[in-house]
Amino acid sequence: MTATPLTHQPHRPRLAPWLGLALLGLLMLGLALVTLAGQGGAGAAWRALFAVTPGDTASLVLHYAWWPRLAMALLAGGGLALAGVLMQQVLRNPLAAPTTLGVASGANLALMAASLMAPGLLLGREWVALGGGALAMGLVMALAWRRRLAPLVVVLAGLVVNLYFGALALVLLLFHQEELKGLLIWGAGALAQDGWGDAAFLAPRLALGLLAALVLLRPLRLLALDDASASSLGVSLKHLRLAALGLAIFLTASVVSVVGVVGFIGLAAPNLVRLAGVRGLAARLLAATLLGGLLLATTDLLLQGAGPWLPTLIPTGAATAALGAPLLLWLIPRLRLADKAPPTATPGLGPRHPAPARLAGVLALALGAALVVALCWGQGAQGWQWLTHWDVLEWRLPRLAAAAASGVLLALAGTLLQRLTANPMASPELLGISGGSAMALMAAIFLLPAPGNLALVAAGTLGALASLAVLVGINRRSGLRPERLLLTGVAITALFDAVRAMVLAGGDPRGQLILAWLSGSTYYVEAGSALTVSLLALLLGLATLPFARWLDILPLGAASSQALGIRLNRARLALLLLVALLTACATLVVGPLSFVGLLAPHLARLLGFARARGQLVGAALLGALLMVLADWLGRQLLFPDEIPAGIVASLIGGSYFIWRLRRL
Amino acid sequence: MLRVRHLARLATLALLLTTPFTAPLAQAEDDAPRLASLDWTLAETLVALGHPPVAVGQVPAYHAWVGEPALPDSVIDLGLRSQPNLERLAALAPEGILISPMFANLTPRLERIAPVSELALYAPGEATWSQLLALTRALAARVEDPAAGEALIDASEARLAQLREGLPEANEPLLIVQFMDARHVRVFGANGLFQAVLERLGLENAWTRPTNAWGFSLASLEELATLEARLVVVEPYPRGVEARLADSGLWQHQPSVAADRVITLPPVWSFGALPSAVRFAELLANALESQP
Repeated sequence: MTATPLTHQPHRPRLAPWLGLALLGLLMLGLALVTLAGQGGAGAAWRALFAVTPGDTASLVLHYAWWPRLAMALLAGGGLALAGVLMQQVLRNPLAAPTTLGVASGANLALMAASLMAPGLLLGREWVALGGGALAMGLVMALAWRRRLAPLVVVLAGLVVNLYFGALALVLLLFHQEELKGLLIWGAGALAQDGWGDAAFLAPRLALGLLAALVLLRPLRLLALDDASASSLGVSLKHLRLAALGLAIFLTASVVSVVGVVGFIGLAAPNLVRLAGVRGLAARLLAATLLGGLLLATTDLLLQGAGPWLPTLIPTGAATAALGAPLLLWLIPRLRLADKAPPTATPGLGPRHPAPARLAGVLALALGAALVVALCWGQGAQGWQWLTHWDVLEWRLPRLAAAAASGVLLALAGTLLQRLTANPMASPELLGISGGSAMALMAAIFLLPAPGNLALVAAGTLGALASLAVLVGINRRSGLRPERLLLTGVAITALFDAVRAMVLAGGDPRGQLILAWLSGSTYYVEAGSALTVSLLALLLGLATLPFARWLDILPLGAASSQALGIRLNRARLALLLLVALLTACATLVVGPLSFVGLLAPHLARLLGFARARGQLVGAALLGALLMVLADWLGRQLLFPDEIPAGIVASLIGGSYFIWRLRRL
Repeated sequence: MLRVRHLARLATLALLLTTPFTAPLAQAEDDAPRLASLDWTLAETLVALGHPPVAVGQVPAYHAWVGEPALPDSVIDLGLRSQPNLERLAALAPEGILISPMFANLTPRLERIAPVSELALYAPGEATWSQLLALTRALAARVEDPAAGEALIDASEARLAQLREGLPEANEPLLIVQFMDARHVRVFGANGLFQAVLERLGLENAWTRPTNAWGFSLASLEELATLEARLVVVEPYPRGVEARLADSGLWQHQPSVAADRVITLPPVWSFGALPSAVRFAELLANALESQP
């Protein structure tokens, strides 16, 4: 592992980190005193902690809201940080955390589904959240199992699961925004309390978790060694990892079920503690838990202080995530990660097809047939109809063309990225370009009085370019190494999630518009933009073909590529620019969520397109086919309501992906 | 939902309305243009004017959240308000489509089906009540029945004045909330429909903090606990919230709750126009009279 320092080094006690913690504690106390000044001062607060003075509303608020909220912030922050240390230690991965591994989004989805379909279950909402969180984490583990839970694969699997569960949650939200608006607040991590019940629920569970972590301390230390050494010491790696991860999930789900999704603390606290020089697992567990609690409590007190001046409530969880994302970007270049990329391109992913050209011809025919069916056959005013007159087709043609074109764009971007990073889990969504573009669009919808399509397109492009600039700016010094780029993408996506949660929690009716766009609809496509995007797909598609030689060589590894005369940095930069362009064009049409960029290249490889050129063509055809089917299905399933094509595609793609996970 | 905060839109209203989109003047009154409305607030006003739209977005949700005035059974569902089914809309061939500026990005596509009118409501810095009246008149002109608009306005004003007469003498300030979950509420204040109704009824709103463009703040329960005010809860409660409130120390000690003086009102569309305003006023006045 490269990320955790070896624990058997002689370690000198260092005071600085602990001093820092004490300072943060003092800062928190100071803030607490400031917020208390308006409510009767510290003395009154102390008395209110133990009992409510009858008839005194200030003591009422202190006793039932202020104190439990402070306690909850400390407990939740501590619990998440503890879970983070465990996950990072087990997976030997400094980027493992409750949010990056999908536990939070799983819990979120489970609660949404329960409140719509089985509200009776909500009496035990903690257990619903626990179930959802465990399911999500289980999926992540299963996805990464064959790779022996290699760090980068686990984080990418977490991102896939996050996207998949996010897409499902989006479908529910799109059609039930009014019913689910309360869950939007919860999902953004609101810490408001109305009594001691939740703190009393959480405290014993955290104590139990801390105890269990201390029991596991010794075997966990061994996990810092590499696999071979640990195995030679007689440790069953898989079982130990499972036990520790199970504990981390339990801690996370307990916290998430009472305060919702609180981003970033579980990721940042353990990393900050390590960067500050705290060595030794026991010391790190303790220091991170303290730091997590203090960080969350301090942020929460700050937000409470600002509350009266804000027209709406800003949920603390989303605020920590948004504030934390820049820190994460700063952190990434400083993390020591395995130099070796994760295992190279999947071996034995299906046979090599003897005649790729014939295969491509078959795919093209299938695409043509699908286009005709999707264009002419569907539900109308008189039920299922086969229609060929223009006044119906004029609505369907642009969106089908745009769907197919964006499928092509994403598939090409995915192919480039998977070959560039030698990682079958890479996809354009994971680079954060879609997320950056989406953030800019949300800003446009909220800040412009009546945004037209041109303004939205301009904003989206700017956002995509901005994330690309961040991506290249941060990673240029490390030579644009693929795994670093993906990590930056994770950070941008985290920021996007936080901003989205904050915006939706406010309950602004424009949220409906944001949801509709985020879900990746071809609905807004007009004839002009459909033509533009189709031409772009064609042009950019042709532009990728000259890169085929690089793409054949790059997966062989950096050394081989250089030996064969490829100047790595220049090749990577050129390919990345191309990927960004492809992704931005597609995102503007179908939104940031879709698995086409992940799935199409994968499927193409599986069908037998082994060489880069073949894979590019095959993936492009498959991407188009997938999006056309998704658009058609989305229009028919809930007629007259439409499920956006982006969501349908990600549900088809995600299901297939998870079903295939054993072969990955 | 679809409110609007854009002043310029109001200025363009007059222009939109004087443009003869559809039928010539000679048309008989029952031949009012067949309109489709993506917006519930516009739809409820059209129903109150006696010229219901032929199609509305999300009809089942309209009945759950707006309730009254109910849409006639003949009204066709267009699907999501943000993404109406264009094929269905085109097949209906309405003579005009009403939207709120929030969905302005749909205008180019909708215009290929029928002329689009963008009607704005709730601009900050302008009295909500006069905006409600302007919207009503604008819609009445759009359906070529200005008399119906004046009649609706007169009836609403008269009803509110009558309700104001019947109110008990002294009323403490009110706090109008709608629960989001067991710990968070929307509090309705400046720039919103409920505030406008309170003003017409001569009642005081205890919530003076800034609100968003739709006239509400999202607040946690603790922020309400210290306000000297009588609570008015607008239903629906989200599922499970009532049970949780029964166990909530903070809620049970809230002055209104402890004194058992909370007023609970059935669902009213909080972003509505005159019909919702009158309905809210009636429900509130009845509650204040029966539980002084």
